Amino acid sequence: MIYADVALNAVLVAVIFDLYLLRSQMMTRKIFWKTYFLILPFQLLTNWWLTSNEIVMYSDGEIIGTRVAGAPLEDLLFGFSMILLTLSLWEFFAKRITPDKVAK
Amino acid sequence: MAQFHYLMVLAFIGTCAVFVNLGFKLRIRSKLKLFLMTDAVILLIYLAWDFWAVTKGSWYFDREQTVGLYLFSRLPIEEVLFFIIVPLMVVLTYLALIKLSRPSSKDEKSNDLR
Repeated sequence: MIYADVALNAVLVAVIFDLYLLRSQMMTRKIFWKTYFLILPFQLLTNWWLTSNEIVMYSDGEIIGTRVAGAPLEDLLFGFSMILLTLSLWEFFAKRITPDKVAK
Repeated sequence: MAQFHYLMVLAFIGTCAVFVNLGFKLRIRSKLKLFLMTDAVILLIYLAWDFWAVTKGSWYFDREQTVGLYLFSRLPIEEVLFFIIVPLMVVLTYLALIKLSRPSSKDEKSNDLR
């Protein structure tokens, strides 16, 4: 499994957790997409800094080769999975810490 | 200075986090437990992935541009901080946007978690 495979699987796992296991269903909420698209340019900025300075480097065989803001396209999948999982877990735990404050 | 290159971007995100937290009065410290629970899972998953990928050679870090502290003698400490600071910024962005979409909720005394 190269980075591309793992990153795709990470998105899949995050989606399954969000929709079916944690049942936060962030993906169905507008606020999630607003948050995601606000963070995205900052991810690109961070990626650009880390890759243009060669702070992080990637092995050729591990990525498909398409780059966005200097970083492998795969990084966008990784980023999406982490943002989704973070917010999904946040809502999941939030509901359990204060059960009276149910989402939506 | 080169050894702080990775740390600098984390400091930038951390600074943004402080300003968003204060500017939007999000009082993230009152939700510390919730954040720690969330981030514990994130750290577990993504550090395991990171460790596996670095071991495999998918990606690697410039030793000159990291401070030189390593987790499991493989992951720069910056990676650990990344998986704390970035999820924190994600949560703060989310909370700030919720607050923006609900301009009426001015009651700062309520212990609203979101």
